[in-house]
Amino acid sequence: MPSDDGLGRARSVASRPRVPVAMQRQTRRDWPATLGLLAPAYGVLLIAVFLPLAVMAFFSFLKQAPFGGRPLVFTLEHYLAFVNRPYLIDVAWRSISLGLWTTGLSIAIGLPAALALARATRGRARETIFILIILPFWSNGLVRVFSWTMVLRDGGIIDAGLRWLLPSLPPLGLLYSFPAMVVGLVHAYLPYMILTCYLSILAIDDKIVEAAASLGARSFTIFRTIVLPLALPGVMSGAVLIFVPVIGSFMEPRILGGKVGVTMGTVIEDQFVQGFNWPLGSALSFTMLAVVLVLLGAFSRVPRPRPTA
Amino acid sequence: MSAVAIDGVAQRFGATLVLDDVSIVFEAGKLTSLLGPSGSGKTTLLRIVAGFLAPEAGSVRIGDKDVTMEPVWRRRIGFVFQSYALFPHMSVLENVMYGLERRGMSRRAAGGKAGAALDMVRLPGFADRKPASLSGGQQQRVALARAIVTKPTVLLLDEPLSALDRRLRQEMQVELLRIQRESGLTTVFVTHDQEEALALSDRVAILDRGRIIQSGAPAEIYEHPRTRFAAAFLGDANFLTGTVEGGAIRLGGGALIRAASALPGEGARVTVAVRPEKIVLASPGDATVGGANSLPSTVNAAIYSGAALTYGVTTPDGTAMKVFAQNFDGRILAAGARVTLCWPPAQTVLLDDEGP
Amino acid sequence: MGALGRIWLFLVLVFLYLPIVIMALMAFNASPFYALPMTFTTKWFVDLSGNAKLIAAGRNSVLIALVTAIVATAIGTMAALALHRRQFRGRTLLRVLLLPPIAIPWLIIGTAMLVFFYWTGIGRGLHAMILGHVALALPYVVLVVGAGVDSLRPDLEDAAMSLGSSPSDAFFRITMPLLAPSIIAAALFAFAVSLDQFVVSYFLAMPGVSTLPVEIYSAIRKGFTPEINAISTILLVASMVIVLGFARLSRIGAGR
Repeated sequence: MPSDDGLGRARSVASRPRVPVAMQRQTRRDWPATLGLLAPAYGVLLIAVFLPLAVMAFFSFLKQAPFGGRPLVFTLEHYLAFVNRPYLIDVAWRSISLGLWTTGLSIAIGLPAALALARATRGRARETIFILIILPFWSNGLVRVFSWTMVLRDGGIIDAGLRWLLPSLPPLGLLYSFPAMVVGLVHAYLPYMILTCYLSILAIDDKIVEAAASLGARSFTIFRTIVLPLALPGVMSGAVLIFVPVIGSFMEPRILGGKVGVTMGTVIEDQFVQGFNWPLGSALSFTMLAVVLVLLGAFSRVPRPRPTA
Repeated sequence: MSAVAIDGVAQRFGATLVLDDVSIVFEAGKLTSLLGPSGSGKTTLLRIVAGFLAPEAGSVRIGDKDVTMEPVWRRRIGFVFQSYALFPHMSVLENVMYGLERRGMSRRAAGGKAGAALDMVRLPGFADRKPASLSGGQQQRVALARAIVTKPTVLLLDEPLSALDRRLRQEMQVELLRIQRESGLTTVFVTHDQEEALALSDRVAILDRGRIIQSGAPAEIYEHPRTRFAAAFLGDANFLTGTVEGGAIRLGGGALIRAASALPGEGARVTVAVRPEKIVLASPGDATVGGANSLPSTVNAAIYSGAALTYGVTTPDGTAMKVFAQNFDGRILAAGARVTLCWPPAQTVLLDDEGP
Repeated sequence: MGALGRIWLFLVLVFLYLPIVIMALMAFNASPFYALPMTFTTKWFVDLSGNAKLIAAGRNSVLIALVTAIVATAIGTMAALALHRRQFRGRTLLRVLLLPPIAIPWLIIGTAMLVFFYWTGIGRGLHAMILGHVALALPYVVLVVGAGVDSLRPDLEDAAMSLGSSPSDAFFRITMPLLAPSIIAAALFAFAVSLDQFVVSYFLAMPGVSTLPVEIYSAIRKGFTPEINAISTILLVASMVIVLGFARLSRIGAGR
């Protein structure tokens, strides 16, 4: 019985768990329909994603691809590639530093942009800028990378512009360099960072900022102590969304990196397209997948501060 | 006009028994409320009457037809949802016409009838509006018009007024009652609001944990609740526990109180309920009306609400009680004041169940 | 801070659009070596019409995107209805299983498809690319349509049934019209995903059967003329128009 001071109602409220209304719609004969609705979609995912990944895992333990009657010989040697082929360590490091540079620059450019979008624009202007920022994101990535060759190549816009000012300039060699790859990748993935940061900044209650101001905090202090920590989840998810595909990229390094553009992505591509060493390619893919999964797992554990509702 | 007869209905969700052998008749042309806390099974019972759900055991009859296995769309019922469930992509008129057209009426005829139904719920001129542009109360009226325009055999309402604010709710109660009386529809009304149930219903059925624990006319249940739950859920009640002694009840603190009804045998433990408004506060020295119960107590709190006062008092054995008093003379008893609680034996209601 | 912020945003937009604009302008430059200053011409667009290889690839791209949009939208909508309307064991797991196609780098998914399709005899070519694109577009369709389903009150169908509609009648008269903007948006989205998809197509293409992005890629690597700028510009404009359409529709959908 609830305690009763003589004013409170002596009401014995049933303590039985409430059955969710949604469950009440369920009838037992329903499952064939549910199965029928789900089967096509998950069938496609099974054939086009999950079985391929499983078979690729299987291949990665084979000495050679089992085509043309070659026997199945199991080996771990492809997973030891980094030991047996030391140049791969350089390649892996190039991929990782490409990922770090791209992610870092995207944060440096994207976070202020997201802040500016959330705090310095409003109404239709904000809507238009927002759409302009996410629009390239859905346009063809290959075309966008290609567009940088127009800008960076010898005789391109930058080269021609500088040469017009200083006719005796030696060739710049902007294209086919590490910075060229970074610029192209930042261009490709920056919208992710702006989007995720913008969404988490939008979720910050204006009252928190006002409260901080009322307590005497100056803008920079507000930024450092309030906005930045609350925007951190957006920065984090943006970083994952960028880092993961960048270390797996092969088309951007090929087009913008030329000879220096040898990355994990291009090495893996080579195993499948040129070298036909599918087991090695599979093992390298799975090593990369493992790195990706560890990263995703690590980031999903980062506690997210919840802005008050 | 058809009566609805529920016989031995049981329903289980997973391991939870939601309805446990429920039998009740909703009389033709009457408005019956299903009153109970959340989880009592009242909505499930309503959904079984509607046909959204087939009961695991028992039968449902509407009129003289067994409809237990009949799906909702063949039952000719009218259902009003808590959320109104108006179709957002249709105009108000199209919403009301929907059921008529599904039952084969031509668009012209349906339009005419739907217009008349909108007049009945006092929403003329709203026909072409979209539901989203209507206020909550207006949406409620459209939902009602949509449910009754098909001339259903029974009108089922699932907490239809709970989303409205207090004023609007009272207004809609009056309206609902008027429409129910005009249409003469057998109506079942699910609510957890006891005042609403008392104000609207011809009959009330109280549900607790999947069982109907009492049903009858509102006054009958209010004046003669059979269980502690019924007494507490419908209105306010004080509970006293004691032992039968010489045709009266000896309370824990030694006081003897009388009840008008027959008591069980000597020495039995009983619980009685006394409504707070039936109690008169007297000064310890005052003469009491002949035969009235009197129980000395101490005031421990008073709530002043203008026309009325609510006192919290404590009896000698420490039982907390609540007393409503009319504000006759503007005098408020202070905490610590000694009083005597008086009430006629007829207002001592013997409950069926044991005390806690 | 306001003015500074707006200047920063402006610079970011310049960074995002300047290369694209230059690329598009070069499609109208007469010099095959992109020599500056430019001389205006539409010659490269005219030349495109005689380039049988690019036209075939373009036809494939549109065909694959159309089939992908139709198939992914149909089966994705079905899955979204099951995942967002029904209660069943394993629902959470099934929702999580939608993530790998989005989260795993396309390089890995594309090569895995190549290995599996080759090994099982499914092979490469149009059908393989369609299968791959449908798998990549599906999660997005389920997300977009699922959000639409969530925004519908579940008792609307109940209301229709209480008024005499059978369950299928209620679905087609009530749920489908209300879901239509989400479904169209999802279809546009799937179309755009497929049209822009390069990595998976690249691994599943066969000599003679490829898509525009695959052809553009091999042209970029082998040496190219402004013809590639012309076709790239067309592709770019097409996908931007589709996405703007999606943005409009999904906003209408959200306003419901």
